Amino acid sequence: MPARLERLVNLTAALLDAGRPLTRDELRRRVGGYSDDPSAFRRNFERDKDLLRQMGMPVTTEPLDPDRPDVVGYRIRRDDYELPDPGLDDDELAALRLATSAVRLEGAGEALATALRKLAAAPPAGGGPTAELPVDERAATVFGAVAERRRIRFSYRGADRLVDPWRMSYRNGQWYLSGHDHGRADSRLYRLDRVEGPVEVVGEPGAFVRPDDAERGPAKPWQIGDDEAVVVDLLVDEPQARFAEEQLGADTVVERRAGGAVRFAVPATNLAALRTFVLGLLDHAEVLGPPQARADMVAWLSALAAPAVAGDRAQ
Amino acid sequence: MTTPAQERLGRLLALVPWVAAHDGPTVEEVCRRFGLTEKQLHADLELLFVCGVHPFTPDTLIDVDVADGRVWIRFAEWFRRPLRLTAPEGLALVSAASTLLAVPGSDPDGALGRALAKLQGVLGVGADDALDVQLAPVAPGVLEAVRDATERRRVVEIDYYSFGRDDTSTRAVQPWRVVNAAGQWYLEGFCEAVADRRLFRVDRITGVRVLDRAAPPPPAASGPPPTFDPSPDDPLVVLDLTPEVAWIAGQYPNEGVEARPGGVTRVRLRSGGRAWLERLLLRAGPHALVVEGDGGVGSAAAARLLARYVDR
Repeated sequence: MPARLERLVNLTAALLDAGRPLTRDELRRRVGGYSDDPSAFRRNFERDKDLLRQMGMPVTTEPLDPDRPDVVGYRIRRDDYELPDPGLDDDELAALRLATSAVRLEGAGEALATALRKLAAAPPAGGGPTAELPVDERAATVFGAVAERRRIRFSYRGADRLVDPWRMSYRNGQWYLSGHDHGRADSRLYRLDRVEGPVEVVGEPGAFVRPDDAERGPAKPWQIGDDEAVVVDLLVDEPQARFAEEQLGADTVVERRAGGAVRFAVPATNLAALRTFVLGLLDHAEVLGPPQARADMVAWLSALAAPAVAGDRAQ
Repeated sequence: MTTPAQERLGRLLALVPWVAAHDGPTVEEVCRRFGLTEKQLHADLELLFVCGVHPFTPDTLIDVDVADGRVWIRFAEWFRRPLRLTAPEGLALVSAASTLLAVPGSDPDGALGRALAKLQGVLGVGADDALDVQLAPVAPGVLEAVRDATERRRVVEIDYYSFGRDDTSTRAVQPWRVVNAAGQWYLEGFCEAVADRRLFRVDRITGVRVLDRAAPPPPAASGPPPTFDPSPDDPLVVLDLTPEVAWIAGQYPNEGVEARPGGVTRVRLRSGGRAWLERLLLRAGPHALVVEGDGGVGSAAAARLLARYVDR
């Protein structure tokens, strides 16, 4: 490995040092350490180039002569390669390192270690985490696109979406993306774990301006949906009133009754999600209105209470 | 995912700029910052001796000096800065810091808050908050009290709402740890009432008193943080779900999911108590068929809830 590693360091230096794109053969002469056999050289060069790109190095492929698009050269532009100095003070770096020990990121342990290394912070210490959250490849792709303001394409609810990704939020144990959906010409909110298949980054950085008032992600599941917006009148009895208030938010409280029951006005655009929440309160809650929401709840419960007449049960 | 060559190249490309930017840091400090043994560091430095650019004359080779336990690297102008953070690296740092800052009681203006702001600036997700983390809301005071009891190893008495039984009881707990998993806060500890390990959701703790009684130290932390793991002794429930409620298979811990003809998803679950099963069947409504288990629970619960709506 040392011979290849030496070659990789020299290749990186040569690409960074290049004032103009260098052809494969120029790189072969400048870097050294490649085989004399042309096909073995090609193979090794391709492997090296792939390895650098996988590490995140911006190795560009550029035509050298407009009349001969098949002749290409390679280089790395320093501005794209270099990590700007964040100027972290010692106590800030230490706090950051501590945070990486206190938060366990499922699926991103390796990324965390290499990130700290780039900042010359010691590797995270062991110890029990205070919090854990999932950080998968899809979330990382979306984050990269949010940071660089690049457009992304993915499939969601069976439809192809072209989206300007504005913001990422972690809520209720899930990652959400808010953005502008070009197909629908409107802003939308997506749950990342419900994105179907990979997220593809398309187009150039800086493709849009992130609006200042872009949604910060749903406060609640019943606010993620395309249902017509309604305000549901909900009564919760004393045993679950405090829990419900934490979940619904204190700003939804409209009445505190003697005995501890609380009445809420809950704005919702996803009535199925609100129903799921209300049913979780069992006998301790009742939808008082509007009439349609109350009727929906009665219909749902009736279908379950008398399955013989429901008709659409799974077979 | 990372190959040994990438791992070592990544290390070199991080180490060189830092050493070059400092005037002869000690071997010890370089090893500490980059998580290396002295032997590994010397092997890395030896390799650098022969690196540089064409024509590899002394002035185009990296210059490495080790003397008196200190290291100097010069003529490494190509590597004056580390490689930028990749998207996974940026997300990992920003979400770790944002998560810790979302813990109640943390200081947004402290060192971590400042570090996060600087990082966000470098990553292009700066001032306008392109990423934020919120953890589940908990009642003020409750989280602080159980964390305090855990830290000071005090037995804590909690009034706890049991989700599985739909009732509240008071119990003394020897706290082991407090952790946030999937957005929710949990207290893990030894429940004296049942003389066994239990996991409590902090948002279901309705009252808390830290007792003046020492708790034994927790067992050595082992394995991943706790999650709800239903016991194999709990009754088995097998459901056939239509696509409308197929999300249940992904949301509830289960023992197996199977695709059946007609778009039906069959899921095997361990019941966490009668109220637990009631909630599950109420939420699934008419879209779930109980294949195995007490199928009468759902319709009985629905009839009971319905009484509230028709009696008024």
